[in-house]
Amino acid sequence: MAQALAVETHGLTKRYSTGVLAVDHLDLRVRTGEVYGFLGPNGAGKTTTLRLLSGLLHPSSGSAMVAGAVPGSPASLAHLGAMVETPAFYPYLSGRDNLRVVARYANVSPARIEPVLQQVDLTDRARHKFRTYSTGMKQRLGVAAALLKDPDLLILDEPTSGLDPQGTVEMRALIGDLRREGRTVLLSSHLLNEVELTCDRVGVIAKGKLVAEGTVDELRARNGGRTLRIRATPLEQAQRLLASFLGPEQLRVADGTLLLTVDPAQAASINRRLVSDGIDVSELRVDEQSLESVFLQLTETPNQGGDGVKP
Amino acid sequence: MIASLRAETLKARKRWANWILFGVLMLILLLFGYILTYVILKHPPANFRSPVPAGVLIRAVFPENLVANVLSPMTSIGAAIMIILGGLSTASEYGWLTVQTILIQKPGRIAVLLGKLANLAIITFLVSVTALASAALASYVLVSIDGSSSAWPSTSTLLKGFGALWLELAVWTAFGMFLGIAFRSTAAAIGGGLIYLFVLEALIAQLLRDTPGIKEFLKFLPGVNAGAINASFRLTFRSPNAITQLVDATRGWITLLIYLVFFTITALVIFQDRDVGGS
Repeated sequence: MAQALAVETHGLTKRYSTGVLAVDHLDLRVRTGEVYGFLGPNGAGKTTTLRLLSGLLHPSSGSAMVAGAVPGSPASLAHLGAMVETPAFYPYLSGRDNLRVVARYANVSPARIEPVLQQVDLTDRARHKFRTYSTGMKQRLGVAAALLKDPDLLILDEPTSGLDPQGTVEMRALIGDLRREGRTVLLSSHLLNEVELTCDRVGVIAKGKLVAEGTVDELRARNGGRTLRIRATPLEQAQRLLASFLGPEQLRVADGTLLLTVDPAQAASINRRLVSDGIDVSELRVDEQSLESVFLQLTETPNQGGDGVKP
Repeated sequence: MIASLRAETLKARKRWANWILFGVLMLILLLFGYILTYVILKHPPANFRSPVPAGVLIRAVFPENLVANVLSPMTSIGAAIMIILGGLSTASEYGWLTVQTILIQKPGRIAVLLGKLANLAIITFLVSVTALASAALASYVLVSIDGSSSAWPSTSTLLKGFGALWLELAVWTAFGMFLGIAFRSTAAAIGGGLIYLFVLEALIAQLLRDTPGIKEFLKFLPGVNAGAINASFRLTFRSPNAITQLVDATRGWITLLIYLVFFTITALVIFQDRDVGGS
């Protein structure tokens, strides 16, 4: 049975009046209740996409549904809490008064203010002016404002940006809490570690296109997954032998070693075959491909990876 | 819209800049329009020359001329202050990027801007009430000190004067608000508004008001039309500074109402359609 979607886009495209194509026919599907990481290098189109989903930008073409309604419509915004790009508040108001303003716009009871301040650990500084806040405190106030409506769906743009290590850990814990509460979280990041630790699924965007989508493990598998690294002598003889029974497409040579894209369970039989042919094997190990290398592969050749891993 | 209005009220009340603008307007109105005028005309300097004697001119600060005297500075300093107020109310939202924080909340864009407009309408109403009331008090105190007698304007004149004051302040505020949305920059909105007011309205309209062609163009300017409305509230003596108005008061009222609607609708259309953020 198909899972309900919190966010769905079809051919979503945004070309600015300057001619810049920021988002290019994006088909994005975020399932209800999951934490979805939107990954991409700076300038890839992440924030533009989140602005489109929040109704701040009008698409050039394509369509989107956010929380079951058109982005920016009151029906969509009623279920959406968002922090897009910079946490933006009134500098002359305290943190608490800023949340009072947001609560009034959102028609939310002011009784929600203290719990969300507590949730982001900002109660002690809530009476101070926003202009005196550190970057991390501003970030936490932005998350507090996003939580004010008790939303089903949260869109968080680089939520750990500017946070110290302690704050980053707390933010991850908060996102985990939100998932356990059954909320959907769509977060953008260029920090691979953050995405790997917090997200159920990941979408990778490069030059405005979605180049891959899936779990972190699926992305690894699709882009080489785990590799068998073999150092053998003589190298050419080992290469010929392995190419003959594995196929040349499974094999490449780098830095004097053979890299095999095969199931690591075959390692023992491959070793036996090499040794029986008189080849010395001095090293044989499984290389786990880092998300970083997957990311680099995907974002360096965006036009060749458009078929991505689909659920 | 009510939710948006409640949020706007809280922001406006807590913003010092608004209180400072209000204070400056009241200070100028009462200090220059009443206290200094009275002191100077009561004891005119030796070189004082005027076709109207100081003893007659001084009646400008008495209750009988309340409406005309309050409206007098509103086409210049009052207009400038309201342009700044309107510009700050919208342009600051772009400067601080709070416009995106607002728009991500529940009300739609139209409701957000209507809430802002309603708040500005309330502010201009309160400014108008306070200006008239404080000017009335000042004129009462001054006429008492002077030991003269002076009749209050009729209720209909007071109501009409209040309406004119509110309309003029609302038009200039709407102009500032419109510029804030159009330029998305506080400096550009306020700078542009003040340049318009003091260069086009004040300077050109004064210097070239009798030039054929330009004269017809000037008849459409809000300041010229506001001046025509103000002139319809006559002083109880013939002012030496009185000039012939380019339009009559009725046309002035209609033109200002059209400007109010135009600035409001244009601001709504731009605010509704334009992207927020991005390049």
